[in-house]
Order: sequence, then structure tokens, then C-alpha cells
Amino acid sequence: MTNIRISNLVKKYGESNAVNNVDIDIKNSELFILLGPSGCGKTTTLLCIAGLIKPEEGEIWFDEQIVTSAEKNYYERPQDRNVAMVFQDYAIYPHMTVFKNIAFPLEIKNMDKKEIEKLVHSTAKSLGIEELLDRKPKQLSGGQRQRVALARAIVREPNAFLMDEPLSNLDAKLRIFARAELKKLHRRLGITTIYVTHDQIEAMSLGDRIAILNKGEIEQIDKPQTIFDLPKNLFVAGFIGSPPMNLIDGSVKEENGTVYFTTKKINYKVPSEFSIVKELKGKEIVLGIRPEDIKLSKNESDNSIKATIEIIELTGREFEVHLKVEEERIIALIRNIENFKINDVVNLIFDEEKLHFFNKETGENTYYESRK
Amino acid sequence: MILPLWSGIMSALKTQADLAQTLPFAPPTTLVFDGFIASYNELIGPLFNSILFTSIATILSCLLGSICGFVVAKLKFRGSNTVFLLLTIGIFLPYQSIIIPLFITIRNLGIYDSLWVMVLVHTIYGIPMTTLLFRSYYESIPESLFKAAKVDGAGIMTIYQRIILPLSPLPFVVAGVFQFTSIWNDYLFALTLTNINFEPASFALSNIAGSTETAWNNVMAGSFLYSLPVIIIFVLLGKYLMQGLMAGAVKG
Repeated sequence: MTNIRISNLVKKYGESNAVNNVDIDIKNSELFILLGPSGCGKTTTLLCIAGLIKPEEGEIWFDEQIVTSAEKNYYERPQDRNVAMVFQDYAIYPHMTVFKNIAFPLEIKNMDKKEIEKLVHSTAKSLGIEELLDRKPKQLSGGQRQRVALARAIVREPNAFLMDEPLSNLDAKLRIFARAELKKLHRRLGITTIYVTHDQIEAMSLGDRIAILNKGEIEQIDKPQTIFDLPKNLFVAGFIGSPPMNLIDGSVKEENGTVYFTTKKINYKVPSEFSIVKELKGKEIVLGIRPEDIKLSKNESDNSIKATIEIIELTGREFEVHLKVEEERIIALIRNIENFKINDVVNLIFDEEKLHFFNKETGENTYYESRK
Repeated sequence: MILPLWSGIMSALKTQADLAQTLPFAPPTTLVFDGFIASYNELIGPLFNSILFTSIATILSCLLGSICGFVVAKLKFRGSNTVFLLLTIGIFLPYQSIIIPLFITIRNLGIYDSLWVMVLVHTIYGIPMTTLLFRSYYESIPESLFKAAKVDGAGIMTIYQRIILPLSPLPFVVAGVFQFTSIWNDYLFALTLTNINFEPASFALSNIAGSTETAWNNVMAGSFLYSLPVIIIFVLLGKYLMQGLMAGAVKG
């Protein structure tokens, strides 16, 4: 149960910065997610916390104790940090039995044999792998291996868990169960957990808070719901959500006291609560609207936009409707498709409360600070 | 490959007179073991010497190669690639080019014509090759295993002893067989660094031929006895050798 503070972390590989000025304050007992596309520096950050790589700049603190300080050239060894790590490929020692694997960190600590036996058995039992203790990793399924890796991490009662995409090698069905198991486990143990993933659904469903990384920099740190409802910038808006948020390039125009968002074809009246965007007059702005916040209608109404249906895809419970407004492509998610077919001209109605306006130049969501 | 071996064994079982009158691969007209008895008496001491230093040097060079391979494969430090390069250059250094300075060094060390000179030179000469072998094997061990052990609290020595070494039987067999045969077959070091005090089998075998007259049945029998240990090693470990040569990666 540790609070982990990372400040100004910089890690370079050659000339490029894999991690650039990352600041994160992870609270005690939190399940904190590092989310981002591959190569965004999330695993590098994790390895820095574990002490497996040395950053060029920055500090890492476990509670009041400094464990990494590039400035003071102080790096506490990984074995002294008492963190447990779960790897994507599980990294189970192939020549040892499950029992030996779980016991390994305890044996290193020179713990009493009987004590080890007791701990290994109780941990294995809590994860439902007690009957596998005599087996070799070769004889285990992916899900079982993942549990062994977890057991090895839990058995030590570490300061923190560091998990590097622990579920990504499982098949889709198993992953959903394992995710729920992990969540339960975290709740039961209450150990600070840092979890790296590129899977946004995993991040959304597991995390207490999420940090979104891109090119080594943090784009946003917030609760999952906030990240979804109020993306801080264009990157987050485009990254989170499946299908992602529709982003329409345009500009601001003011006519007779009314503010309009305009493109070549669209002339959209900006709702009064967003009137602040008029300050961005003359600049390029981006309107963002999630596919699920768009309604289709046969009838034209105030502030609706005309679009042509290009494709309709069934995605299970919902339909993904691909629409075309001039050269803009827009995706809407709707439940009921009965009234519509391909090539129909329909009216799009945006949910006015769910609109986002981004400054194209800076990428910032104009309302992030005020609505947070 | 079979024909020389066949001819050798046939010749070993013939009398001197028989040898002169029959073709090398024809079976003996009268079966005699004179050749074997004579060469056995000549070779038994040197064979024992050879087995001794070959085994010790094989074990040592494999162990050291394994440690070096582990270090260059998994402990990336500044200049680790240069160290590895320098190590492997040794493979391309012909014995002949260093034999005179080596001889002088050995003489000055005072270990000329002893068990230890053969152990020393063969161990050292084996390290580049075994390092290369072990390194490529260790490179295939997933990095995460190494990281996991570190996070689990293990130091470098513990990781080597408890993770790396137990995963290494296959490269040990491959490197071991390779080292054993090449040390066993060495003639140049045997010729220059030893004398009558500690005579290796390869050197003793060449002495059977004699300088004035060659008893070919003795020579052939001696050759057979000389190659026996290597054949036994191959028969015993061949299965693992094939596995080892084909093992590309450690699968969990």
C-alpha cells in the first residue's frame, strides 16, 4: 500500500525521448492505468518504476522514500523495491513447478520453508490453482499461466503491483473473465496497482484512473468516465471510444449575435452554453461528437444537418451508420434502422450537451478546464 | 565415411603378412588381435591422460562459456558488444600463429608437459566458441524471465544459478560434445606442449607408426581405440545434440 509519485521522468532511447516529462501521482491502493498506442512509452514508464531501467531525468518516490533520482544518480535496485510485476508473456520460470514458481520470491528472501509452504498454498487456493501446484508451466493453459504469474506477484505482499498487459495473451472470452477477476483481486488486496494496456475497454473497465500517453507524453489523467465524457484534447478524443469520436474541421462565425460552427456545407448553430468558442473566431476549430450522441431523423428540424447514408453495418446490438456530409465522413451509432436505408438523405441531430469544441492549433478542448 | 572405418577395422584385425597380401577392405584371412593388444599397451596411459584433460577442459570451457555467454547476452553494459567481439575473435586465431609465444609462456609458467598445461590451453581456447554458443542460446531466453527474476528479488548470481543454469542442459550438451571432440582431436598442442611425462593419446598414436617401419595393423587398431571415446559420446548424447542444435527458443 504505497503512494507512488513520478516527477519529470525522461527516458531517452538514442536521440528520441521514449518518455518525456511524465508527472504522475498514484494514490495509495489505486488501480492506475497507463493507456496508449504501442510505442507511447507506457511500458518504459513501468520499467522505470520497477527499477529495471534507469531514466535520464526525473524522480520516483514510494511514499516518502525516493527510489529513483536521475539527478542524484540514485537508483534503488529492483530487488530492493518490493514491487511485483506481471508480464505480458507471464515470465513463468519454465523449469520450475508451479509451486516453485510461486515460492521463488519467498525463497530468495530466505523465508522459513514451512512458512513458504503455507503462503504458497493459501495464495494458490485464493486463485483456484491449488491442484496445479505440482505441474510444470508447459502443462498449463494460458489462463492458468496467467494465474500462476499473479500468484507469484501476490504471494510477496508487495508495495505495488506492476502489470504489463497481463491479459493481452488470453483469448477474448477468457480476457473478460480474467478482467473481472483482476478487479475483484485488487479490491480484496487493496494494493496499489499500475496497469499498462493498449486496450481501452480494459482500461475503462478496470481503472480507478487512467493516464493516456502519446509519444512519451501524458495527454490526460482522469477517471475513466471523465476521459470518455470530457477528453482533454484531440488525441484523447480520437483515441478513446469505438468507433471513435467524429471530428469535423471548421471555423467559428458570428451572425446577429448567434455563433455558428461552419464548414463548406455545414452551418451549425452553436448552443448558447458553448458560446465561449466565439473567442476562437478566425481560428480553425474542430467539432467533436460521439457516434452514440447523434440521432437520425427523416424530418428536418432546427439545427439539423443533412447527410447521405453510405454504409450501414450491424455491430451486434447497434448499427454503425456511415454518413457523408460533403467530404466529411461521420459515423452514427443507432439502435433502430427500420426507417433508413443506403443512399437515403437524412437529418443529423447532435445531442447538444455532448458536443466538444477543440482548438485545432493546440488540440485543446476549449471546455476542459471549465467543465472539469 | 563407412569405407575408411571398415578398412581400418579390417586392417586392425589382420596379421602383418595378411595386410600385405589383401586389399584394405577385404576381411582378414585369419582373425588376430595382435594389433589391438600392441596398441592397447602403447595407448592405455596416453588415453587415460587424454580422457582426463579433455573432460576437465570441456567442463571448464563450457562453464566459463556459459557464464560469459550469460554476461554478454543478458547484462548489457557499456562495451558489452566490444567484449563479445574481442572474445569471438579468438575463434579465428589459428593455433599455429601463437604456438611459439605460447610455448615460451608455458615453459616460463613451469607447467610444460603436465596435465595442467593441456587443461589450461584447451579451456582458454574453448571459451570463444562456447561463449558464442551459449550467448545465442541465452539470447533466445525471453528478457521478461530475467526481469521477473530481478523484480522477484534475485541478484545476478542467483539468476544465473537458479534460472539460467537450469535452463541450459541443451547448450551444455552441444558445447560439450563440440569441445570434447575438438580437444580430443588436437594434435598441435599435444605435440608442442607435452613430452614423455604427460603424453596425450593423439601424440602417442602418431608414435605407433614408428620412424623406420609401420605396423599398419597396430596403427589401425590404435586409431580405432583412439576414436572410441568420441564415438561413445556421440552415441550417448546424439539425441540431445540434435535437439540442442535445433532448439531455437525456450518455450514455457
